[in-house]
Amino acid sequence: MFIAIVPAYNEEKRVGGVVKNLLSHVDKVVVVDDKSLDNTIFEAEKNGAFVLKHNINLGQGAALETGHEYARKFEADYVLHFDGDGQFVVDDIVPALNRLKETNSDILFGSRFLDDRTNLPFLKKYFILPIGRFVNKIFGVVPLKDSQNGFRILNKKALEKIVITQNRMAHATEIMGLTKEHNLKFVEFPVQVIYHEYGQGMSGGFKIVRDLIWGKFLK
Amino acid sequence: MLLLLFKIIFALFSLSAILTVWQKKQKTLLGNKATFFWIVFWLALTLVVFWPNSTQILADYIGIGRGVDLVIYVSIACIFYLIFKMNLKIEGLKRDLTDVVRTESLESKK
Repeated sequence: MFIAIVPAYNEEKRVGGVVKNLLSHVDKVVVVDDKSLDNTIFEAEKNGAFVLKHNINLGQGAALETGHEYARKFEADYVLHFDGDGQFVVDDIVPALNRLKETNSDILFGSRFLDDRTNLPFLKKYFILPIGRFVNKIFGVVPLKDSQNGFRILNKKALEKIVITQNRMAHATEIMGLTKEHNLKFVEFPVQVIYHEYGQGMSGGFKIVRDLIWGKFLK
Repeated sequence: MLLLLFKIIFALFSLSAILTVWQKKQKTLLGNKATFFWIVFWLALTLVVFWPNSTQILADYIGIGRGVDLVIYVSIACIFYLIFKMNLKIEGLKRDLTDVVRTESLESKK
């Protein structure tokens, strides 16, 4: 079974379309609603998603792990991480899954830097992402060209090993760290990202570093 | 006279703090390390209030000029440590809360 996990927070405008498109590429779409204040749940269910609801807003990392728990219970063979805001392209899913299988990898990371389909904002490309790569180097995670890409595919082994404890955006670095810690075979794959909003700025980056530092003390 | 009154009030306050710490320990709200820390903390404070020169002896031993400077340095270190511990506690609580919300989310769909 191939399950898509879609963390969503206030995505009523786009989540329906995302779910509809995903259903022609995966067996099941699980939308994890992170206490949205709009009609995200209604739109997701209307378009055929199975919706898990958080009663408190916890963050994207927590939503993904809730989806993981669900996928583990249903013994999913593969799990796809896919954002609910429509920034990813569903046409990338099948080629990405094929690449994961062909290379016998445990986890596939989407990358915006392996082809020229993505138009990255200038600041993000030359300032924020290089800093992100530097931070990841400090925390000793697997070296990826694209350190903050939410498109991932995990096989069963990776799903068992990768348990996300970082509730908010630091989960991306945590996943890379766990990939290294558990010696999971990984592969990067070119995916397109369409920017509807700017995404994380510098303050988001500082919060990630703060969360990662606290996370080290809690282990 | 006023100083003596202050010392007595502080001693009573310190004694009541130690009793509170002990009661919390009995109710298993405090661990061994935390109990030890708070009892030593209140005893040390009482010692300093009754014998202010004790800080000077320790300051001379360590090589810090004045006893009061030593008290300030130690206080700042203690405050930072407590803030650090509190933050860790809050992060731990956040994780517990996450587990509760997640379990509820998954259970409600059974």
